Amino acid sequence: MAGDGALMEAEAHYFFPPASAFRLNECLYRLKSDGAFRARYLADAEAAMIELGLDAPTRAALRGFDRDRLVGLGAHPYLVFMAGLRLRMEREPEAFERF
Amino acid sequence: MPLVAAFACAHTPQLLLRPPTEDRALVLRVHAAFTEVRRRLAALACDAIAVVAGDHIEGFFLDAVPALGVFVGAEASGEFGPYRYALPVHEPLARAILTDGIERGFDLVYSQSLRLDYAFYVPLHFTMPEPAVPIVPLYVNVYLPPQPTPRRCHAWGEALRACLDGRPERVALIASGGMSHFPGTDRYADPDFEFDRRLLQALADGRGRETARLTGEELDKTGNVELRTWITLLGAVGDARAELLCYEPSWHHGNAVVAWPVTAR
Repeated sequence: MAGDGALMEAEAHYFFPPASAFRLNECLYRLKSDGAFRARYLADAEAAMIELGLDAPTRAALRGFDRDRLVGLGAHPYLVFMAGLRLRMEREPEAFERF
Repeated sequence: MPLVAAFACAHTPQLLLRPPTEDRALVLRVHAAFTEVRRRLAALACDAIAVVAGDHIEGFFLDAVPALGVFVGAEASGEFGPYRYALPVHEPLARAILTDGIERGFDLVYSQSLRLDYAFYVPLHFTMPEPAVPIVPLYVNVYLPPQPTPRRCHAWGEALRACLDGRPERVALIASGGMSHFPGTDRYADPDFEFDRRLLQALADGRGRETARLTGEELDKTGNVELRTWITLLGAVGDARAELLCYEPSWHHGNAVVAWPVTAR
């Protein structure tokens, strides 16, 4: 970690994504944007997460999909939001009115 | 003919796919404002629509995060849930903006192969006239710090206007984003509507230039990181007074649709 600039970034709602969270953010990104990966995740989340090389604590956080915990690990908040919404759109398509 | 119209609007996905958490009447009121934009775009008979939008980490992931960019492919395509879209790009205009922008000192990234984010698509879904008009997608990084400063976005908008003023096409400009919202954060249900209202008043007064003095920290604190797209547009429209077509605050989002009169310079 660097100096004051890094501290300010840590306090921002949309903070710099730490390199340590790259795999986690990649998983959220692919849940959001990669339909084939999202289908594999919905079929077998554990296998899909292992495919991306996620460690056990990260996999546990994703299983619970708790926003605060994921963001605490360095997940980008928007990716958490939209990955969750895309999973819900797949699981409950009838819940959404289409315009 | 240069810039002939300018609009800014929200693009929240719940306007396209409404879950039960969203007030249907509110969503329809925003749609009505989009319909008014569509009517105006049709009447203007423009040759292209340049859309300034933030990328929701869709076209660009962490392998490359450009501050400002232009899509110069033949067609811009993407998907969002059940929606699949492919929009023709006005290639001569896209290339001119890219080349002219570089000449004017903006080190723009360009791409011919990107998934078009729904931030571009949602406004076009509701406002694209018939027959459809080709687009030019203009990227601004809004979600991955460090983002371009409001000052830089405003300057880019000024340069964009100068470029458009030298072109033969009749171009409409749409800024897609905002207003206050905090997706994925603990402030999601607590947007800063007071900031939005003060800002809308400033825009109605023709004081859009003041947005160039905002800081990135202020935008983050008020849920307005996406306002960078509007600030870019404000650089292009100068001191024109905004016309508010709607401002509909939902439980998580300040949904605004705004128009600016554009006169030849």
